[in-house]
Amino acid sequence: MHDRFTVDEEERPPAGPAETLRLIEEQRAAAMRQIRVDDRLWYWPWGFAWLIGFALLFLRYGPDGRVFVDLPEWLPVAVLVALLIAAGVVSAMTGTRAYGQLSGDSARRGAYYGWAWTVSFVAIAVILGKVTASLSHELAIMIWAATSVGLTGALHMAGGAIWLNRPLFQLGVWISVVNVAGVLAGPGWQSLINCVAGGGGMIVFGVVAARWKRRRGHERRAA
Amino acid sequence: MSDAPLDPVIHAQARLRVTAALSTLGSGDRITFPRLQEILGMTAGNLSVHLRKLEDAGYVEITKTHRGRTPVTLVALTPRGRVAFEEYTAAVRALLQPTDITEAT
Repeated sequence: MHDRFTVDEEERPPAGPAETLRLIEEQRAAAMRQIRVDDRLWYWPWGFAWLIGFALLFLRYGPDGRVFVDLPEWLPVAVLVALLIAAGVVSAMTGTRAYGQLSGDSARRGAYYGWAWTVSFVAIAVILGKVTASLSHELAIMIWAATSVGLTGALHMAGGAIWLNRPLFQLGVWISVVNVAGVLAGPGWQSLINCVAGGGGMIVFGVVAARWKRRRGHERRAA
Repeated sequence: MSDAPLDPVIHAQARLRVTAALSTLGSGDRITFPRLQEILGMTAGNLSVHLRKLEDAGYVEITKTHRGRTPVTLVALTPRGRVAFEEYTAAVRALLQPTDITEAT
């Protein structure tokens, strides 16, 4: 009896056009909230990993061989790598949450993009591991940072192309510019630049991107 | 405008909510039945009834597949369903905003 009442109720048209539009807006907003992921979840783990990791590198391996804080030699790199791995895990979980219940073009796009990151980073880790063994510590840090930051910039630009996401593309360009500036500034300064402009940039970007998507969502609904 | 009736398939609260929720997916995307159910807060039986009506109208496509060994039901709006939803929304909006004032006088 009760069930029947519910079905009847739901068969009834909404009360008037205004009510209908309100129902559509509400339902779309509710669906978006549940399906879409907050951009901060994508960018903040990486942003903070760079911010903290490169800050430690700068403090231990400053410009012209200066040591600002006498940390154990292994510590900065270990912290940076650990934070990057943690960020990778968070991204994988976020991706599963975003696309795990979906199937089709978006899910495939997300999965391919995730694999592109994994495969290319494993590849450069193997290559750099081999090459930098014969370099000075200072130069090794520089090459590792420049290659990984450069690849990150390139993948972000590619992401912007895949999703036609302008801020994401701009972030890729920004990271690429920051990367070159760091290398030109030289060892030590490079870490500081990656820390502030790279890591800080990504944190700021997380906020901007979340706003941009909300605004686009509104525009699409209004159109 | 008022003499053109609104699409009766969509013009029922439950199916309007289903269609609106599915319209947020990108074209070419499908969502699992339980996830859709969770978003809409409907019972499985109730959602099935409305999905069948939408499917009969050609607005929704339901695919049964397997992920590993678990059967999965995927739901998506068809291109036709998307157009119907857009036309419905436009018609409702037109009811709210009488555009031509001269015609009214």
